[in-house]
Amino acid sequence: MKSNRSILSVLLIGIISSIALIYFYIIQRDFTKNHREFLISINNLEQHQSKLSYLILENSIYIYQNQDKIEQKIQEIQAEYKILKKSVLLKSDTYKQINKKIISLKKKIDSNIKNIEDYLMFNAGIKNSLLFLTRHIESGEFLVLEDSHILIKANHILKHFYDTKKIQDLDYLDYKEFLLHSDSSDKKTKDFIKKFNIHSKYLMKSYTDYINSINSVLHNDIYNAIIEINTQFSKLALKDFKALDTFAFMLFTIFILSLSFIIFLLYSSIKKNHTLQITSKSLQHSLTYDQLTNLYNRKALESRLNSISKPTILLINIDNFKDTNDIYGNQIGDSILINLARLLESELAYLENINIFRLGGDEFGVLFQDIDEDEIYNIAIKLEKNISEHKFSFDNLELDISVSIVCNTIFPILENADLTLKLLKQNPTKRVMIYTDDMNLKKSVEENMQTVQIIKNAIADDRIIPYFQPIVNLQTLKIEKYEALVRLKLEDGTILPPFKFLEISKKSSYYHEITKIMINKILQTAKEYPQYRFSLNISMLDILNEKLITILFDCFNQNLSVVARIDIELLESEFLEDTAKVQEFIKKVHSYGSNILIDDFGSGYSNFSYFSDLDIDVVKIDGSIVSEIVDDKRKLHILKTIHQFTKGMDMVNIAEYVESKEIAQILQEVGIEYAQGYYFSQPIPKPLESDKVTL
Amino acid sequence: MLKFILFTSIIISLYAQEPISPIPLESGVNRDKAKLGKELFFDTLLSKDNSVACVNCHDVSQGGADSNVVSIGFNGKKGNIQSPTVFNARYNFKQFWNGRAKNLYEQVDGPINNPVEHNLDSKIVEQRVNNSKLYKKRFSDVYGISKIKYTHIVDAIVEFEKGLITPNAKFDKYLRGEIDLSDNEKNGYKLFKQYGCITCHNGINIGSNSFQKMGTFIEYKSKNSYPDKESITNKQIHYNVFKVPTLRNINLTAPYFHDGSAKTLTEAIDAMAKHNLGVELSKKEKKNLIDFLNTLEGEKPAILESN
Repeated sequence: MKSNRSILSVLLIGIISSIALIYFYIIQRDFTKNHREFLISINNLEQHQSKLSYLILENSIYIYQNQDKIEQKIQEIQAEYKILKKSVLLKSDTYKQINKKIISLKKKIDSNIKNIEDYLMFNAGIKNSLLFLTRHIESGEFLVLEDSHILIKANHILKHFYDTKKIQDLDYLDYKEFLLHSDSSDKKTKDFIKKFNIHSKYLMKSYTDYINSINSVLHNDIYNAIIEINTQFSKLALKDFKALDTFAFMLFTIFILSLSFIIFLLYSSIKKNHTLQITSKSLQHSLTYDQLTNLYNRKALESRLNSISKPTILLINIDNFKDTNDIYGNQIGDSILINLARLLESELAYLENINIFRLGGDEFGVLFQDIDEDEIYNIAIKLEKNISEHKFSFDNLELDISVSIVCNTIFPILENADLTLKLLKQNPTKRVMIYTDDMNLKKSVEENMQTVQIIKNAIADDRIIPYFQPIVNLQTLKIEKYEALVRLKLEDGTILPPFKFLEISKKSSYYHEITKIMINKILQTAKEYPQYRFSLNISMLDILNEKLITILFDCFNQNLSVVARIDIELLESEFLEDTAKVQEFIKKVHSYGSNILIDDFGSGYSNFSYFSDLDIDVVKIDGSIVSEIVDDKRKLHILKTIHQFTKGMDMVNIAEYVESKEIAQILQEVGIEYAQGYYFSQPIPKPLESDKVTL
Repeated sequence: MLKFILFTSIIISLYAQEPISPIPLESGVNRDKAKLGKELFFDTLLSKDNSVACVNCHDVSQGGADSNVVSIGFNGKKGNIQSPTVFNARYNFKQFWNGRAKNLYEQVDGPINNPVEHNLDSKIVEQRVNNSKLYKKRFSDVYGISKIKYTHIVDAIVEFEKGLITPNAKFDKYLRGEIDLSDNEKNGYKLFKQYGCITCHNGINIGSNSFQKMGTFIEYKSKNSYPDKESITNKQIHYNVFKVPTLRNINLTAPYFHDGSAKTLTEAIDAMAKHNLGVELSKKEKKNLIDFLNTLEGEKPAILESN
């Protein structure tokens, strides 16, 4: 908006100054033209007037002259005056005085022309008479002998007339003795005197008019008037020119100002543009680069993958990076990432045509083009080795890290690599793996997706159901309890065991739903079968899930009449730091009259420390021990030891996987309190009505 | 520059050329306009009663002037002055005997409006010419106009009059160095200069470039009064002052003077010698002068020859 206004104002200034410029140009041009024309005209007039004066003088000197020249000059003066009078300048107020003078000049010119006409008229007679007298005296030669004084007198008179004509002063005329006198009776003499006197009289009579007329012609002040007009005009014109100068200066100033403004706008626009470019570059950078490591980011990889043929990727993942972050803090974690980035760059510097990416978190990628599998595998092996041998130093801290590397050349590149990485992570012995189609990783993904759908539908159709496996008291051979096990019943009636769907459900929101359904259904069954206790499987990790625990206790609170017959089987977990929280849970469970069972003891991470921290009621001995006690004496010894140990702590045992009569008998002999397994019964949809079993 | 021009002029003037200059050989007029003007000049349409044309008083078959003492105009009325020749009138510094018209354009206006000459006003002239199919077509052809204005009519007549020049007079050929004059003629020209005739009769028209009083030495008296320069300026010094008439074709334009009082050239020379020069001329001198004056007859204007 602001820039629009600026552009508009610049445009406006531009238009205004252009108009002013054109206006100035026209004014200046017209003024200069008119001024020049006026000056030319007045100068012409001056010249014509001089020439006219010259012609008049010539006319007065010569006896005869072609007077056309005078008339022609007069016409030229009149024509020139017309041109002068027409000058546009005279219409303006500035030249009012000049105009007046020019009007009065016309009067002078006109009167001068009339004076010239009169002068020519008088002059003709005077000239002719003088010419006549000169010739007349010549013809009076005969008087030399007789009346020479007459001739002398005649010469004097003629000289006087000529002098007067030259002097042009009337005072010089003395009429007294300008006539000839003689008493001679000679006819010739008389005739001479008579003719002389006629002309002399004429001259005497005409000289006044003649002298006056030539004086008025020669002393006209037209020339001065023209000079005066010229001078005054030049003065006034100077003012006008000065005004023009000022105007031009103003225009120039406006021009410079608007030019500066335009330059300023241009400069600021360039500057803005520059800033914009930087912003755009940094945006572009952040779109394609990882800010922490300054490597390309995942997005860059994706777009690069689209643009190249035969891509191969190395996916490099730092092992247990989360632990490192937790132990040493994010700052060190970030430093590790940065150092690894640099390490990758230097390690791979010998390779051409590769790009290194950080794909997020602790994952890096290296993209190759058109490389064969053996070569890439070797690169990966070497890289993994070098990284694991590298010392990452931070101040006085020195860290080793290990990475898992996946190679993949098969589309979809990234997905396959990701899946392979997961697979690799599960295998602690391998550090480098190449994706092959026979891994079927993709298929399992598809299956997972299907399973989620199945779970969803099963929940909706109430096809999540508990199965019950009886737990037999080996002393009494009576069924005392049932372990409730979750099953998913497909639409066609097929029953799915938990390993088919439970793990997947844990990664979706359906796990809570399933737990809730199970609790409610177990509680319901417990109501229907008051003679039995029922146990419910809960993993130790579940205890940390507050939402799940809330669901559990909500259900407990709603069914207080049966809760005392519900036991909790805790599944061991490798990761149980917060024993206090578990103990708290156990305490709460105990408050309902329920017992706590430890499931699968003797397998995996079995840990005796539980027993010091947790109030456990029953220990279930893992099937891997129980199933082999017949043939394996060591397993039997372990069994006996567990039994001795737990009995010493007032706990009872339940042996799992009791699949034969021999096992049951050995267990009986050892003194194991309870047993469960296929020998007695598979898990069944409903508890048995009869609690009797036979050995 | 000015000084240089003046100086150069003086040098040239000292070797004064003859104060008479020849008539140009070509008039340089627009022939179409001039022909149209000629038709108008001969047309009585331009007088109130369709009786008078310009040519009535300016007999171009003779010297372009009127052989009558005073011209006969509209309704037989007599004019008050002798008609001057229309030949070479373009070289007159002013028109009419008393110079009241600045140029031919103003002059043409005079007789047409004069109650004793054509007695018409410009409106009627316009009407009449516009009513004529012939003139309509002629003006349309020449001027490219459909409506004829008075100024066009005047312009055409003036163009014709400008064409009325009489070049190649014997004297002009002499001035151009083409031929020589006879001794008598040469002597006449010499007397013409010595007696001072040339003082007033000079220039291309041998006169017609200044005013002069008729009777500078001895007063010239006429029977009637004539419109002299005084009638315009009301100045006593302009009493009996007239435009100096041209001497070209003078042998063809009798009678002479504004009042037509001199029937012959001899009479005219006598009158001039007496009244304006204060001299007496011998018979031989007069004869020589007439010989000279006869050399001033030029060729008939070319515009009259063509149709």
